[in-house]
Amino acid sequence: MSLPCGTRNFTYAEDMAIIRTRTQWALFAAVLVLLFTSPLYLSNYWLGVANLIGITLIAVTGLNILMGYCGQLSIGHAGFIAVGAYTSAILTNRFEVPFLVALVSSGLTAGVIGLIFGIPSVRVKGFYLAITTLAAQFIIIWVINHWQLAGGFVGIKVPYASIGDLVFRSESSQFSLIASIAVLTTFFAKNLARTKVGRAFIAVRDNDLAAEVMGVNLFHYKLLAFFIGCFMAGIAGSLLAHHVGFMNTEQFSLSESILFIGMLIIGGLGTTIGPIFGVIFIRILQQVLTVQFVPFLEKTFTAFPSGFATGVTPMLFGLIIILFLILEPRGLAHRWTLFKSAYRLWPFSY
Amino acid sequence: MAQEILQYTIIGIAVGMVYALIALGFVLIWKSSSVANLTLGQIVLASSWFTYSMLVQAKLPLWLGFIFVVLFALALGWAIERFALRALIAQPILSLITVTLGVSYFIEGVVAFIWPWSVDALPRFFPNEPVHIGQAVISQEYLWVVSICLGLFGLLSLFFRYHKMGIAMRATADDQMAVQACGIPVTSIFSTSWMFACLVAAVGGILVSSLGGITYGLVETGLKAFSVVILGGLDSFLGAVLAGPIIGLAESLGSGLLYRAFPLLWPGIKDIIPFIIIIIVMVIKPFGLFGESRIERI
Repeated sequence: MSLPCGTRNFTYAEDMAIIRTRTQWALFAAVLVLLFTSPLYLSNYWLGVANLIGITLIAVTGLNILMGYCGQLSIGHAGFIAVGAYTSAILTNRFEVPFLVALVSSGLTAGVIGLIFGIPSVRVKGFYLAITTLAAQFIIIWVINHWQLAGGFVGIKVPYASIGDLVFRSESSQFSLIASIAVLTTFFAKNLARTKVGRAFIAVRDNDLAAEVMGVNLFHYKLLAFFIGCFMAGIAGSLLAHHVGFMNTEQFSLSESILFIGMLIIGGLGTTIGPIFGVIFIRILQQVLTVQFVPFLEKTFTAFPSGFATGVTPMLFGLIIILFLILEPRGLAHRWTLFKSAYRLWPFSY
Repeated sequence: MAQEILQYTIIGIAVGMVYALIALGFVLIWKSSSVANLTLGQIVLASSWFTYSMLVQAKLPLWLGFIFVVLFALALGWAIERFALRALIAQPILSLITVTLGVSYFIEGVVAFIWPWSVDALPRFFPNEPVHIGQAVISQEYLWVVSICLGLFGLLSLFFRYHKMGIAMRATADDQMAVQACGIPVTSIFSTSWMFACLVAAVGGILVSSLGGITYGLVETGLKAFSVVILGGLDSFLGAVLAGPIIGLAESLGSGLLYRAFPLLWPGIKDIIPFIIIIIVMVIKPFGLFGESRIERI
């Protein structure tokens, strides 16, 4: 199907392999090398952006498993990320737990909280579930704001991540940490979709009643999707906490949750490559808008009341989400597939 | 103690009525087109700011200002339906929900663009001399709010009962195919229901902001209206009208009494009581008090 002409599979393992030809291996290696050597030729500023992209990618990959594969809408993903971030912050700041332990436990905590708010998903779906996760967002943020241990409204300081004596202080060392976890997450997500679990998720997404009749245990798989999705959110939260170094709940607003869904829509639901496109697109656009475009507008149009340009970013993002849903509901991933097949078939069109 | 409880009750009922009004903005759309309108909060926010522009910035007289506000709300509803939802008719519910989220993001941006200072107060529409009911002393505004809400509920239910358009809207909710076969343009029903929904949400928003000022918190007020929708049942007018005061009471009594009992433990619990109620309803009775529980088939 998507293999170059003349490539034949003789064993089952060959048939299942994601990377088949030598060119694909070379490209794959080149991308990995390019990724992990990027601290050498990216400035500190862009490395910071890349770190943010990596963290968001982990979270959105989790959301993709939940929403893109299993079809369970979550409008509270920023809340689950907050759970992970604060677990890590509290453990490392207040109890001086090593970073790796904090990382894993923030994933687990977020996963368990996700399970709790995911329980209604067994009985309800669609809009009802959307509202449940919306409520989760507000409840989680409220609890964090009113909990002394978590620093409340004031916020909480988070030390740098460290493994043994190795302290991830600079942007470039943090980049290697974040990039490796992001690669692992993407690898996991790509393979999860091809296993029994992934197929069950897709069955639940396409028609959950039919899936149940066929013997897919809805309770099990929906909650599993919630756990995996929120686990990844927790990991992303923990990395975010150690990356930013200071946490308060304003970083986890409802608009952030909506933006995650937007990234997924723009990238393409239910594909592994989709979140990568969506996250890079939105985060870089956001950076360009807030750092360059908004100050430019403020300077040029002084007649307007001050601060008017901050509205431009959400306006544009809202518009992009709407336009993508109407014009390209399968997202950039679909364009990417089209491009790949056009490249493979060139110079013929079919 | 007793008069405080009475005060909390009246405030709770008034606020709950407003929630119910905003919630009607959801139910109307859900009933006619099964689209989940998650833009409620931003509609409330935008229409409150527009009222502010008309009455404070442009200094129009009250009646003229309100005519413009009504026109604005109708136009907003029409535009949302025409440009965002019309293109997505018969798409999966996931796209319909996310497109309203996109719209909400967009409206939020527009609001920040035009009114960037983010906090202001509306002029007072109602006399605010306190009224004495038994021993309790409350501001007259709350009583006005209650009566306006009741009046609007009455008007709406009359409209749905007797007006041709109202009957057509109910019929659309029941069976879109049959309605189309009868020669009623379903798309114009959809756009009318959006216009109506924006109108009631706008009125609700103006009532809230006349009490508490215009802040970003209005979005949250709009979102709290979802707890009314959930508790009352998605497709039930009566449910929304009854569940509104219940949520309002729970919010005001709950926070008032809990705050008295544990002043340190529960500051601001008021803000999440509606959301906790959502979770509880979702676990116990997901289709709400009056909602129609759907029997699905494959």
